[in-house]
Amino acid sequence: MSLRTSISPPAVAQDQLQDAPSRHHMWQRISPYIYVGPAVIYLVIFMIIPVVQGVQLSFTKTPLVKPDGGTNVGFDNYSRLLGSSQFYNSLGATLLYTAATVIFAVAIGAGSALLLNRAFKGRTLVRAIITFPWAVPTVATALIFSWIFNRSDGVLNEVVGVFGVGQQGWLVDPKYGMAAVVLTSVWKVMPLVMLVVLASLQSIPAELYEATRMDGAGALETFKAVTWPHIAPTVRVVTLLMTIWSIRRFEIIYLLTGGGPVDSTNTLVVNVYRQAFSNQELGRAAAIGALGLVLSLLVTVVYFIIERRNAAKEA
Amino acid sequence: MTKLSLRNISKRFGDTRVIHDFSAEVDNGEFLVLLGASGSGKSTLLRIIAGLTDATSGDVVFDNLRVNRQSPRERDVAFVFQSYALYPHLSVRDNIAFPLALDKFKPWHHIPGVSSVARRVFGAGKDVSEKVASVSAMLDLDQYGKRKPGGLSGGQRQRVALARALIRNPSLFLLDEPLSNLDAKLRAELRGEIVRLHRLTGKTFVYVTHDQVEAMTMATQIVILHNGIVQQHATPQEIYTRPANTYVARFIGSPPMNLMRAEVTDGAASMGGLRLTPPEGYPLGNGTVTVGIRPEHLSVSGDAGQGGLPGTVRRVEDLGADTLIGIQPDTALNLDLWELNRDELIWVRQPGQTRLMAGDPCSVQFQDRLASYFDTETGLNLAAHREAAIAPVLPPLG
Amino acid sequence: MSTDQAQHRLQQAPHKFRLKAPGQRQFSKPFRYIMLAALVLFSGFPLYWMLNTALSEDSELYGQAQGWWPHWERLANLSDVIGSVPIFKWLTNSVVIAGGTTLLSLVFAVLAGYALSRFKFHGKGAAGFLLFATQMLPEALLVVPIYALFASMGLLNGMGGLILANVAFTMPVSVWIIKGAIDAIPYEIEEAASVDGCPRVTTLSLVLIPLILPSIAAAAVINFFDGWNEFLLAKTFIAERDLWPASVGLASFIGQYLTSLNSVMAAALLFTLPALIFFLLVQRRIVSGLTAGSVKG
Repeated sequence: MSLRTSISPPAVAQDQLQDAPSRHHMWQRISPYIYVGPAVIYLVIFMIIPVVQGVQLSFTKTPLVKPDGGTNVGFDNYSRLLGSSQFYNSLGATLLYTAATVIFAVAIGAGSALLLNRAFKGRTLVRAIITFPWAVPTVATALIFSWIFNRSDGVLNEVVGVFGVGQQGWLVDPKYGMAAVVLTSVWKVMPLVMLVVLASLQSIPAELYEATRMDGAGALETFKAVTWPHIAPTVRVVTLLMTIWSIRRFEIIYLLTGGGPVDSTNTLVVNVYRQAFSNQELGRAAAIGALGLVLSLLVTVVYFIIERRNAAKEA
Repeated sequence: MTKLSLRNISKRFGDTRVIHDFSAEVDNGEFLVLLGASGSGKSTLLRIIAGLTDATSGDVVFDNLRVNRQSPRERDVAFVFQSYALYPHLSVRDNIAFPLALDKFKPWHHIPGVSSVARRVFGAGKDVSEKVASVSAMLDLDQYGKRKPGGLSGGQRQRVALARALIRNPSLFLLDEPLSNLDAKLRAELRGEIVRLHRLTGKTFVYVTHDQVEAMTMATQIVILHNGIVQQHATPQEIYTRPANTYVARFIGSPPMNLMRAEVTDGAASMGGLRLTPPEGYPLGNGTVTVGIRPEHLSVSGDAGQGGLPGTVRRVEDLGADTLIGIQPDTALNLDLWELNRDELIWVRQPGQTRLMAGDPCSVQFQDRLASYFDTETGLNLAAHREAAIAPVLPPLG
Repeated sequence: MSTDQAQHRLQQAPHKFRLKAPGQRQFSKPFRYIMLAALVLFSGFPLYWMLNTALSEDSELYGQAQGWWPHWERLANLSDVIGSVPIFKWLTNSVVIAGGTTLLSLVFAVLAGYALSRFKFHGKGAAGFLLFATQMLPEALLVVPIYALFASMGLLNGMGGLILANVAFTMPVSVWIIKGAIDAIPYEIEEAASVDGCPRVTTLSLVLIPLILPSIAAAAVINFFDGWNEFLLAKTFIAERDLWPASVGLASFIGQYLTSLNSVMAAALLFTLPALIFFLLVQRRIVSGLTAGSVKG
């Protein structure tokens, strides 16, 4: 009797083996790059290179009419900017605009989500209407709001007139310019916050609410114990998104006030555009742009640091 | 293809070695089963044969041609997945026709857009339709032609997967636990189907499973894998009657082989007062040895005077045709049941019914010529250490 | 808290349970409805006002005599209302630009999304990061250098150049959506296709794309309306009035009095309506498409 652990030993010697023909192997190695290549190259051409060129431009004095005919001026643009009140005004306007827009958009958006979380008659319709502002094109938004804000014939003045307040130049009075622009921006952007937070709210399992209700918790306690922990990450992410978008936002501000009145809404991006296409100074525009980019990066870095600290706390 | 040859196949995922130096030769027409628990590397090995995964080292050879660099299609294999992997958006008929339609593609047919049209056109062709019809009939799928996989039961889906594999008439059929997601009854049915297909096509089948019943009933050869290492590669009969080590001994058979420790003196093993004479030519050196004996090679009687091992009946399971009796040996005997015997019982299988009940005293008789003896430390079957001429498959015992 | 505990609590303090829950709701109910009404007013008013203004005559608009109820009957003569605003030509341009942007974006997105989902390769992380990081770059910063680039390449004042520029901004979102959708499809289906003889590109077109159509549709809608709404790049790169998309065309009317306001508003409504309708219809799809596609079988 014997015990076999294999049926038969290998018969052919190693060196008698040929490789079977195959084109498959060569493809395997290069196909990832063929697939991802176009997108990457595209982005490099239209995003990375322009950023680099923008930085290069910022060291020059270049007229709009001759984009490649710039003269090198070193750090001139930067030193001028960092010494000009106009630049700091821009920076301040950006910060103020961003803070105000983000705070109100997130507050109203999240609040709407909380209100819409419970079913009621006509909820679908209400939700649809609240989502409208997001669907309306930016230009149309600027068009209608500039009419609403119109000093002599706009409806806002008509309404506040009822309360005894006189006609205000919402878009032309430096006192109100920023507020008008923030209001319009919040209107436009709030639905996105609402949708995102609502999605997060609706993923909270009902049992959690029932349990806290059994414990006799009131509305505020339920919110603190169940609701907030669940939606907090989403709210944080959407806040970051809103912040970055606010720093970037151009159209609404430019179309409503063009950066005025008296530069009160002259955020960094608006400033860049005006420097480039009104003042025709590409070099200076690029310098402002570069500094604006630094601001965006700072915000993202701060966000990540906070997030990591939060994650460490929870761990 | 007449011969599948696997040489020194090794696979590593990061730092984990999943397959260790696997070699095997498979002749045409064999039904090879790769049997093992989850994580034993069997599915990975199958995928390496298919060309879906690359081996870290080693060669896959079809008829003296090394196919390591070939794609699955170039190797002309068919693969049946555990999850069936049917195309959810295509009808059953289109699923089955798919490989044939693809076979007709010229290089320019692969241009996106052209390919959708080409698939439909080729798939509707007369010769393709005929083949689809005949394969569908073979697998009882005629009436489901227009349905999508989502509207089929698990068993039906598996048939579609089989049909899709069958239709190209490949040189090699690879099946990855195709029946694991089905209930017991369906499994039994489809087992028969797959064996029938094997006979019909006469091609080589390599079949992966963790189910020993499937392995034992379907295979012409079984490879048992444990942690990526081959435990035994032999026919089902040999694996059953002469397991290469204690792992194989315990893996195959339900209930598994009983294993216990015994002391060897004078060429015979003794445990608990019982003296067992090993079968002819089993040289047992002095020391401890692990004795293995299958439940059907034991008998139990209520009469303690019969000799044998005294004990108490603890469990009785009436299966209808047979009865399983679990016996706890008298503790006075200080019997060391090997660690894998988790329930600490010796199991006996008896035809028909028994009058014994839990709590009854009894004694267990051994047919000691049918026992196996394993090295206590390595677990290897001691018969493997003997030198002997290669003998043909052992005749059926009993 | 287990149901047993909950039951126990209920038995112990039924009065607590009864009083708090309904009473609570009753108090906040009117408050909630007021807030909701305010929100609806806030969100819906500008649109309603747009309609109202479009349907008002010049004489009604100025001098603060604008009525509150729209003159619905004037809808029939909308084309007259629009008058000299070349909105239809502009809308056609918008369609071309948005459509071209979407098509090109999707092509890149499917290729790159597939690669990021299925391949392992050097630089995969870098590519993913690139796609993410570029989302943060403001168009206003990039306009200047891209303007210079286009000027030297002669791409200014053409819809083609604008489409090329747009795609760079819309593509990353699509890549992310499609990658997510492909992630959700079991890889075994692609392996089966490979066994059946499909090279990757064929697997993509015959198997994957049909299965992720909802997500592709979602990405298409998002891209289309990004292109539809886009203003800054269009204004910078297209000087000719005839080639303006509706966004630029309508923006030119802000703050001027030459063209009647009702005409402008009517034109603006035409510009807004497609976006609105599509958005409402597709909203649910977008959310589900954003959270990856679904596969049966």
